[in-house]
Amino acid sequence: MSIALTRATSARFGLRWLWITPLVLVTALIAGTAIGETPIPVDTILKVLANQLLGADYAVDRIDAGIIWNYRLSRAVVAACCGTSLALAGVVLQALLRNPLADPYLMGISAGASTGAVAVAVAGLGAGALSLSLGAFVGALLSFGIVVMLAHAANSGVGGGRGVQAAGAIILAGIAGSQLFNALTAFIITTSASAEQARGIMFWLMGNLSGVRWADVTLAVPAALFGLLVCLWHRRSLDAFTFGADSAASMGIAVRPVRGMLIIAMALVTAVMVSIVGAIGFVGLVIPHAMRFIVGSRHTRLVPATALAGAVFLIGSDILSRVLVSGQVLPIGVITSLIGAPAFAFILVRGKRS
Amino acid sequence: MADATNYPVNLTNCGVEISVASAPEQTVTVGQSATEILYSLGLADRVNGTSVWFNPVLPQFAEANAEIERIANDDPSFEAVVNKRPDLVAVQYEWHVGPTGSVASRDQFHELGINTYVMPADCDTKDNSTGGDGTRTAAFSTESIYKGITELAEIYDVQDAGEALIADLTAREQRAIDLASSLDLAEDLSAAFWFSSTDLGVSPFVAGQLGAPGYMMEKLGIRNVIESDEEWPTVGWESIARADPDVLVIASMDRRRFPADDIEAKREFLRSDPVTREMSAVKNNRIVEMDAHAMSATMRTIYGLETLAEALSNMSFNE
Repeated sequence: MSIALTRATSARFGLRWLWITPLVLVTALIAGTAIGETPIPVDTILKVLANQLLGADYAVDRIDAGIIWNYRLSRAVVAACCGTSLALAGVVLQALLRNPLADPYLMGISAGASTGAVAVAVAGLGAGALSLSLGAFVGALLSFGIVVMLAHAANSGVGGGRGVQAAGAIILAGIAGSQLFNALTAFIITTSASAEQARGIMFWLMGNLSGVRWADVTLAVPAALFGLLVCLWHRRSLDAFTFGADSAASMGIAVRPVRGMLIIAMALVTAVMVSIVGAIGFVGLVIPHAMRFIVGSRHTRLVPATALAGAVFLIGSDILSRVLVSGQVLPIGVITSLIGAPAFAFILVRGKRS
Repeated sequence: MADATNYPVNLTNCGVEISVASAPEQTVTVGQSATEILYSLGLADRVNGTSVWFNPVLPQFAEANAEIERIANDDPSFEAVVNKRPDLVAVQYEWHVGPTGSVASRDQFHELGINTYVMPADCDTKDNSTGGDGTRTAAFSTESIYKGITELAEIYDVQDAGEALIADLTAREQRAIDLASSLDLAEDLSAAFWFSSTDLGVSPFVAGQLGAPGYMMEKLGIRNVIESDEEWPTVGWESIARADPDVLVIASMDRRRFPADDIEAKREFLRSDPVTREMSAVKNNRIVEMDAHAMSATMRTIYGLETLAEALSNMSFNE
């Protein structure tokens, strides 16, 4: 009886998401625009949004208008895109590797991005021609490529092998890759940065949305949409992969090309996000698990739910990072890790019990 | 004429007892401030190694400095310093040579019979155990600079040179303060000091209340819009723009590790960012360029005070 009831509820729930999504997202975006380092009256915020979106002509202070439109709203939109992308990358990696602990942050992508950024910022790689973001992007792809090849060389992982063993190999490869790139980052910092700079770099490594402007939105939105569409398109394949590569093959899925394509797409999207805002951990781990609790593990529902929850989670974390310590902005990665690390421990312990 | 030094010189320096038996013949410096003070005391011939440079050496010492080995631009290694066989290591920052020094702790030098002297400007009124660039426990004042000069002059037995240098700096300090007070500046005039940022657009490093820039603003009757007591807090442009200081002071430096190190990049950002370009300091071109090293607690702080006073005298505040 109760099972039937749950099913009926979750089916209705699955449909309801479609209605709730825009409403929840818009609410989160408005909250991200309304709450910040300095207090701005609500009517000012509404006037600025009306001016910008509806072509109204309210008189508002130009600095207030600039802060609301150019700093806060663009920042909230990028936070949403970033949360969506990182959470979806987690969903895909967990399904493909059949490992609840798979997450872009744990698989070397963030570590590589950090190294790339630091190499540009501190060591002057590219002599000014390379931007910090491009360095992060190259580093992210490089480290992820190394992790995948390492797992592959262990005769398992992306190219073959069996579920659990393959998953174990790629997680171990991720740890090795992360350590290698973290060591490189530390090497670059200690050989060529002063303490003041090391602090600045650390701020960036923990994620930093303070430099976001509309130009970043034009990169973040297409990347996030691309990630979402890829996941939605392959939702049935993802379902099949959760039962293992052999099961997926028996369902008529071209295992290697689909798996390769999904991993490359997620690595790309993650690298884009890391290059815009720095390394933000645990989003790809915590959000998919939380959503499985709520909507179940079918990807038809899990993908949109995770995309929305990731967006809201990161907008919320960003708000917290701005208001937690008065007069100071914490790196957003600090907030997500403070929430994420205990959740990680919980997943570990729970996995052991089951 | 000042007295000759009676050795041994016993001092409490940044909380550490030191005893100097005779005037040091060989010195290695860790920090540009210590280097330039020794040069100013006419002691270039007793310096045989330098490290940690922020700006080019003061022009009057360029020739002497060229003869002296630069061990490292940034942090030197402990062994590189020790290998120069110094009698004394003169230090600008405790985070280089101090309890958790990146070069060494003071004990490591003392165990080898090498004395250490840390400029009091970095520890009087400052807590360096907080990490980063430390936190001021009370306002920096040039007294700590003069104290450092007096003590070094005594250690090296050049007390006349020490007194002459202090007299010169005090006179310059007073002239700058007099100039500013003659300007009839507005009661509520405000400013912010922008050192650099890790990337253009991200929250910048700005001067807190109690460091060298705080001292300059206090002396000239200007309010610092940044309220933190940290030496160089990171504060969002949103907060800075909302505070809308009348004057922005931006650091010039030779360092090129962050895009914002370049003074032109700073100017370009201020002019083009949709929020900062609306700030009154930017709109009315009340932007002052200052040597980055003057923004640290050093002898050059007084030069920075002059720079700021002169810039104010050339500004119009009638909007």
